This record gives sequence, C-alpha cells and structure tokens, in this order.
Amino acid sequence: MASHSSLSHGLRQSGSSRVRVFAVLMAVSLVLFTLSSAAGETGPVAAVRGVVQTIVMPVRYLGSVVFAPFDGLGNVFTNLTASQETLSQLQEENERLKAQNAQLAESAQAAQRLEGLLKLKSSYDLTGVGARVVSGSVDSGTTTIAIDKGTTSGIAVGMPVTDSYGVIGQVSSVGPTSAVVRLVTDERSGVSAMVQSSRAQGQLEGTGADELSLTLVRADQIVAVGDLVVTSGLGGVYPKGLLLGTVTSVERPSGALYYDITVKPAAAVGNLEEVFVITAVSSDQSASTAEAAEADSQEEGASPTSAGAAAGSDGTASDDAGATSAGSSTAATGEEG
Amino acid sequence: MLVNDTNKRRKTVAVLAVICAVLQVGVAPHLAIANGHPNLALVFAGLVALQTGGTYGIVAGFCAGLFYDLVTTGPVGLMAGLLTALGYVVGLGERSRLTDDAAGSVRIFAAAAAAVELLYQLGLIIAGQGAGIADALLTRWLPSTLWDVIVFLPFCWVLSHRQAGTPQLGNRRKGKGQKGLSTKGLH
Repeated sequence: MASHSSLSHGLRQSGSSRVRVFAVLMAVSLVLFTLSSAAGETGPVAAVRGVVQTIVMPVRYLGSVVFAPFDGLGNVFTNLTASQETLSQLQEENERLKAQNAQLAESAQAAQRLEGLLKLKSSYDLTGVGARVVSGSVDSGTTTIAIDKGTTSGIAVGMPVTDSYGVIGQVSSVGPTSAVVRLVTDERSGVSAMVQSSRAQGQLEGTGADELSLTLVRADQIVAVGDLVVTSGLGGVYPKGLLLGTVTSVERPSGALYYDITVKPAAAVGNLEEVFVITAVSSDQSASTAEAAEADSQEEGASPTSAGAAAGSDGTASDDAGATSAGSSTAATGEEG
Repeated sequence: MLVNDTNKRRKTVAVLAVICAVLQVGVAPHLAIANGHPNLALVFAGLVALQTGGTYGIVAGFCAGLFYDLVTTGPVGLMAGLLTALGYVVGLGERSRLTDDAAGSVRIFAAAAAAVELLYQLGLIIAGQGAGIADALLTRWLPSTLWDVIVFLPFCWVLSHRQAGTPQLGNRRKGKGQKGLSTKGLH
C-alpha cells in the first residue's frame, strides 16, 4: 500500500512537472511569436535567425547542388497546382506571345512574298512598282482588287499586274493614290497566251470562277493536261513568258476547230496581298515579228474572225480600246490603255 | 541499466535530431507537392513524443519547432509553440508506442501532423504572412500533411524495428502472459 502511494505521488509529481514545462515553453513561444510579428525583419529575433541561417547555409547549398537535376520534376507538380494568380499571369503572357508570334509569322510571310516578287522582277527584268492589296471586289459582278498605288506612282490603265507566281490581271481604273485591277478570272478579261511546250497560241479568258478558259487553240496543235500556259507577248501589253496557269483539262468537241481548254491560274487570285504592277514593257519583252508571224500561221485554215481574235488580244474582251495589236496584222481587238 | 537506457535514448534522439535538421535544411526545400514541403521538425517531435513522451517530448518539440522557425521565414515561435503542444498531447500516452503499436503511431502522428499544419497555416494568416484560406488549405496544408506522413513512415519503421529488441525506459519488453506497468487505478 505504501509503495502504491509512493508511485502515485511520483507520477503526480512528474505530471505536474510536465505541465509546468509545457506552460513555460508555450509562454516562451508566445513571447517569441509576438516579438517576431511585431519587430518584423529587425530586432533580436531576426538577428538570431540571421545567425542560424548563416550557419545552415552550407547544408542548404549542398542540398541545392544535389537536387539541382531534379528541380524540374518538382516544378511539374508545382505547375499542376499553381495559384490562380500565377495561372492568370501565365495566360496573359501566353496571349501576348501568341500575338507577337502571329505578327512575326505575318512579317515572315510578307517578306517571303516580297522576295518572290523581287525574284520575278529580276528574272524577267521587269520595270514596275510594288503595291499592297487594300480590298477585293466591291460588287459581286466583277472580280477585281484595289491596290494602294495610283497615278502618282506611275500607274496607268492597262498595265499588267503580277504576284510572285504569275500574272493576276490588268489595271482597269486608276486614281492618284489607288487603282483597281481586273483579275484574269474576271469574265471580261482576256490575255494573249500560249502553251509553253508546244507554243500553241490562244486567248485566255476569265470565267468568273476560279478557273480560266484557253480559247482559240486550233485542234491540230498539241496540248496536254499539265502543260504550262504563259503570256505570248502578242499585243504588247504583257511581257512574254509570264506564267498564267496550268492546263487542267483538254476537250475537243466533235467537228470543232478549236479545243476547249481549262486552265488553273498560277496566281492565288483569291488570296492576294502584295502585287507588282509592270509599268513598262520593252520591245524585247514583246513578241517578235517572227513570233507574230508564227501565230498568224497557226490561224491559217481557221475562220478570219476567230483567227484575228486568237492572234493578238490582251485586255478586256468587251472593252476594246481600239489599239492595234503589236503582233498581229489581222487583229485589232481590245487592249486597255 | 537505467543509465545505459537513458544514454542510449539520448544518443538515438541526438542522431535523429541531426538527421532531421540536415534533411529539413538541405532536402525539404526540394521536395514539393504544390506549395507543400515536408516538415522534418514535426516528424522529429512526433517521433520523440511517441517513443519517449513526457517532459522530454515537450522540450524536444519546442527545440525542433524553434529550429524550424529560425531556418524558415515564418514568424518565430509559431511552430515552436505548436510542436510544444504536440509533444505534450502526443506524449500523454504510453511510452514506446512506436515499438508497441507502429500502425497506431502512424495514425496518431497523421492526426497530429494535420492539426499542426492546419494551425500553422492559420497562424501565418493571422500574422499576415499566409496565402488565402483556400490556397492555404489546398496547396499548403494538404500536401504538407501528406509529406509529413510519408517522411514519418521510414523513420517509424526503422525506430520500431531497431528498438523492438531493446529494453525501453519504463516499458520493458513484455513476455507472453506478462503485463507491463499500468497506472490504472492509481489516480
């Protein structure tokens, strides 16, 4: 009984000692917390913290060195649960970078297109001015574009216009600082053309759709799908040899004198941004007399009226301006300007 | 015998303290789930309280908490107070709980860690150093608690196995049919 009482007393003493220690340490903690919160980054508590931080710095540094290769892995988890503020900032930055990237891509594409125009210009030794497309057709009845250069830049009605791939059309009206270009796909457009491989002469006309029709090519000429169609230089409006398109179908109705040929335009006429207006065509860029004679010879056997049309007409089919074709002695069909 | 056990216990606690301190300073900053990091001071305090308890556990908790406060950027005294309380509450139970009931020790520690981490986050908010309550709970409290339990497990396993065959102060290894000392009916 006595030993029981002694043990109980000892335990009670131990319990009260434990409570005392707990109370004292909690009080110390509270004081430290109060001091630390009140003094902030100054005061004795902060000084002690500075000393401790200095002492543990080598261990901290060592940990950084050891864990450096794995820090990226930790970031994965951190990123998964990043705060809303961080996510918002990253989203904003992402949007800004996207816009910047789009601008740069746009600039790169523009530079590429301009480079193509320059290449075309130097390849064909063309004289002219570059212009930017400002709008498309303002009405549904025509296929035109408006460009930001006009008479003040030396542009006049009838001048041919190209992009970096080939001919796109001809200036149909012009103001001081702008001009309207009738595209080759317009139903009223007509360009003297020839099949590059066989030199078969014809008239490339717009259809109002995204394809062209090569007419007046005699059925005894050789034309095949895939052949390139280029300007013939007859009429003196377009320099010869400029790419117009590719033959996509060749048909010969029974008993007809001429092929029905469909041509896909080389230029992306529906998606133009920068163009090149040819302001002058030198005599060596036009068809020579021999080439004109050859064109005429292809028309022998064809009806006089159609032969004249095939041999030399550049420009608007219905807007005959009365200019005499440079390469044809039989034709006096329309060229604008 | 008593002297030997006490020395052994002190030695174990000292080694444990060094290991936990090094891990807290060198390793814990690099282990992160969301914004939660393991708290080795809490692990240390929990281990000592569970294995030894009593005044020893309270003092160990205070020292560990103070160390944590000094090596981190939170208000000094907050973790010290919390781990002092942890040492007191967890140390109220029987000694050598780690050896006798490892699974129960893990459950007790998990509950204590959750409470300490939660109160620490609330303390930070009160001191004007915390994030919003949702952020504190989701990205700090939960992952920190998870880390604490994960880090506690290997220590618990090592200590429980290491001391299973060693007579402990106040709780000798029980033989079959034997019962340890009990204070039931003494108060």
